[in-house]
Amino acid sequence: MGARFHIFKEALRTGVVTKKYPFEPVKVPEGFRGKPSIDVEKCIGCEACVNVCPPNALSAEVDLNKSVKRIILFLGKCIFCGRCQDVCPTEAIKLTREFELSTLTTNDLYQVVELKMAECEICGKPYATIRQILFMAKNVPKDQRPLLLLCSECRSKVSAKYISYARW
Amino acid sequence: MHTSTTKILDLLSKYGKIEKVHENTYFVEVSADKVREISEILHWKLGGRFSVTVGSDERPINGYFRVYHVFLMDEQKLSIIVHVKINPAIPKLPSITPIIPGANWHEREVHDFFGIVFEDHPNLERLILPYDWPEKVYPLRKDVSIRELRNKLLKEENEGVEKREAEEKYVVPIGPYHPALHEPEYFELYVEGEKIVDAKYRGFHVHRGIEKVAEERLTINQIPFIAERICGICGYTHNVAYCQAVENAAGIDVPLRAKYIRSILLEIERVHSHLLWFGVLFHFLGFDTGFMMTWLIREKIMDLAEVLTGNRKNYGLNLIGGVRRDINFEKIEFSLKTLDYVETKARRILDKMLKLKEVISRTKNIGLLYRNEAKKLSVVGPVARASGIDTDVRKYHPYAAYSEVEFKVPVYDEGDVYSRALVRYDEIFESINMLRQLLKNIPKGNIMADEIKISEYKKGLGLTEAPRGENAHLVITGRDNKIYRWKPRAPSYNNIPSTLVMLKGENLADAPAIIASIDPCFSCTDHLVIVDIKGNIKRRIRLKELARRRHC
Amino acid sequence: MSIKLFMKSLWIFHLNSGSCNACDIEVLNVLTPYHDVERLGIKLVASPRHADAIVFTGPITREALPKAVRAFTAVPEPKAVVAIGSCACGGGIWYDSYAIIGGIEAFYKILREKYKVKIPPTVYVPGCPPKPEAIIYGIAVLRGILRQKQRRTYFTEEEVPELTKDLIINIEKYMESKS
Repeated sequence: MGARFHIFKEALRTGVVTKKYPFEPVKVPEGFRGKPSIDVEKCIGCEACVNVCPPNALSAEVDLNKSVKRIILFLGKCIFCGRCQDVCPTEAIKLTREFELSTLTTNDLYQVVELKMAECEICGKPYATIRQILFMAKNVPKDQRPLLLLCSECRSKVSAKYISYARW
Repeated sequence: MHTSTTKILDLLSKYGKIEKVHENTYFVEVSADKVREISEILHWKLGGRFSVTVGSDERPINGYFRVYHVFLMDEQKLSIIVHVKINPAIPKLPSITPIIPGANWHEREVHDFFGIVFEDHPNLERLILPYDWPEKVYPLRKDVSIRELRNKLLKEENEGVEKREAEEKYVVPIGPYHPALHEPEYFELYVEGEKIVDAKYRGFHVHRGIEKVAEERLTINQIPFIAERICGICGYTHNVAYCQAVENAAGIDVPLRAKYIRSILLEIERVHSHLLWFGVLFHFLGFDTGFMMTWLIREKIMDLAEVLTGNRKNYGLNLIGGVRRDINFEKIEFSLKTLDYVETKARRILDKMLKLKEVISRTKNIGLLYRNEAKKLSVVGPVARASGIDTDVRKYHPYAAYSEVEFKVPVYDEGDVYSRALVRYDEIFESINMLRQLLKNIPKGNIMADEIKISEYKKGLGLTEAPRGENAHLVITGRDNKIYRWKPRAPSYNNIPSTLVMLKGENLADAPAIIASIDPCFSCTDHLVIVDIKGNIKRRIRLKELARRRHC
Repeated sequence: MSIKLFMKSLWIFHLNSGSCNACDIEVLNVLTPYHDVERLGIKLVASPRHADAIVFTGPITREALPKAVRAFTAVPEPKAVVAIGSCACGGGIWYDSYAIIGGIEAFYKILREKYKVKIPPTVYVPGCPPKPEAIIYGIAVLRGILRQKQRRTYFTEEEVPELTKDLIINIEKYMESKS
């Protein structure tokens, strides 16, 4: 009898603890890993996040006819780990504090960012987004910057010719 | 009977070449005819215990299959891995199950995935793969890829669904999934009246193919995230075990502050898991007040985890070489306040609940597992500690920051459901004590190692103590930032066969509590099939209904 | 939509088709004192025949497929489906394993083609695992009490500079003129 009485007393002492959600909002702590969101002004389309995402919720596709690259974020597969936020060079993708993400179709769980690509001066193939070239240009020495306007195959051919010419 | 390390290594060197892989871990290559002899010596004569068997397809590296048997020597704080190379043309090996019954499932799994035949095994049937899996298709061999398997199986899938439904004799439930095993538990109990005379286990209905995904698609730093999702209750221990295995294999030095942060989260997970278990046990005894009140205390721990890591579960805090998030002064204050609350509440509530007459009468002397049976089956964790075996990886093979804290390991001798409850009750308060020491003494420093270089084909073993027992992960690193072979072994793999021993001779109404006492994850929706031998009737019943029977 | 027939209460049947249990425990957490969803009329039932909605957690594995189909067809009309967690919404981190069919969408494809079954109203609750509050929000969206906040967004880049040799050699000047 003693044990039962103590449990009852404890239950009365605890009282009512129910949160009033959904009639009142609930606060989440700082550093909460909620929905990832791409800032469309800062994204340069470098695909660093695509490489590192464990469930491949972030994917990239290139449309060769229109010369655009699309970065596609599918919240359905996202595991909210935050690795994309760790590796983004421009801090474009960040994890917000939203957790109310339910939808009635999976179509609504997508965020697509479409960026224009530059075409190679020699072969005409789209190879990188314009924003990415502008971002990388300041880290390249001035005399090698024109090489950024070529796709990787043409670039290696031109550099090879240049080096073999210099040796000769 | 304490044999020193040098004597053990001398003895082993007579069987084959010894390779020291990292601190306290030795690999010994033996020939196939000596495997049984050396297993008997290590498990029965020198005081060690068998832990896990791992198979590996090393034909691209050196042209052989290989089987690793892992033995842990608690007194000498050593891990000894005995490995044998197998000719791929005639893949067979003498089985060690006749000597160590606990190796039964491990060898069947290697047979399922690689096609290696273990001679003299008592029942070398399918264990993990479903009964209609095509013959001679071994998923973990290196010459078959996920895409080929998917095309082959899913084509048959669409045509074969009806065929499978017609052939099944029992309606197999989807029930609970053992978090550590990722399969549901499905027990067949043969009864005479109300007494259980025999029990069979059919499981592994949920096999997600984690090892193949980790080998083919994921990089070294992405695997911690899939390791965490092996189990939703003790996932962080798998995360840490994998990271430790790779760090041991590559010789990476993790800074001390990162080790402290990992230990803090490991202990937080232990407290939450034991409180969850008490709730499930009380629910099975029909005591729903106990269920609600223990889960009420547990919510505060989940909130604490959310503040420290950003999510209530699946902490995602580890990378190879350290942790991703730091802990500051306010977080430490908040943690200490939460721990004070949890400790006072748990002492008041759980203490009284374990003294209730009804709880004691339904758990004392029920589900007995004697010490020699426990040793034969190589059980781990609280199940072993409640049967008198003193084993705890945190004390005997210290990892992370456990060598810097003081704690006791609770051991009881009776081997019934009540002792397992007492072991977990004591562990909650030991964990809170450890957490206070860790939070107050955390040193300054970096949280990520400076030098991280991982070379190819290096082997490593990672051990952690999950709330259910010990985890053992074996890793062989590969090239191009990938892993060559990863085998995660969760504790319930060793513990579930012991339920078949515990259930014999007990009343039917005690079955839910006995199955829950080894802590197989979430048995609230467990399904049982009861076969009445005398009346020849088969009935399907839910564990929840069975629990209600005696109480109302 | 027939879902509006559920005026006050919604009885749910929980079906675990291969999950790691994190989502299942969050579903049970919704019944514990802090969130107490029974005050909103939601109850867990033991048999699919008693249920109004079926809650899926976990990726649908090859072994669990016939049972999932049987449980799904056993729930009487009108019914609803709640897909909880990243595994159910899209296959999660296991999406391409040999033992997994996929998320709910792949399951619906098999149901439509093979069994010719009508697809019921479905709500997707992303998260790994989703918070109990997120699950309550999901069920409120399903019943039409709250409107969904998350919508598909598509951004197309409008103005781009002309990429010439001159521009790229003097990139610093261009950056200054932009800001």
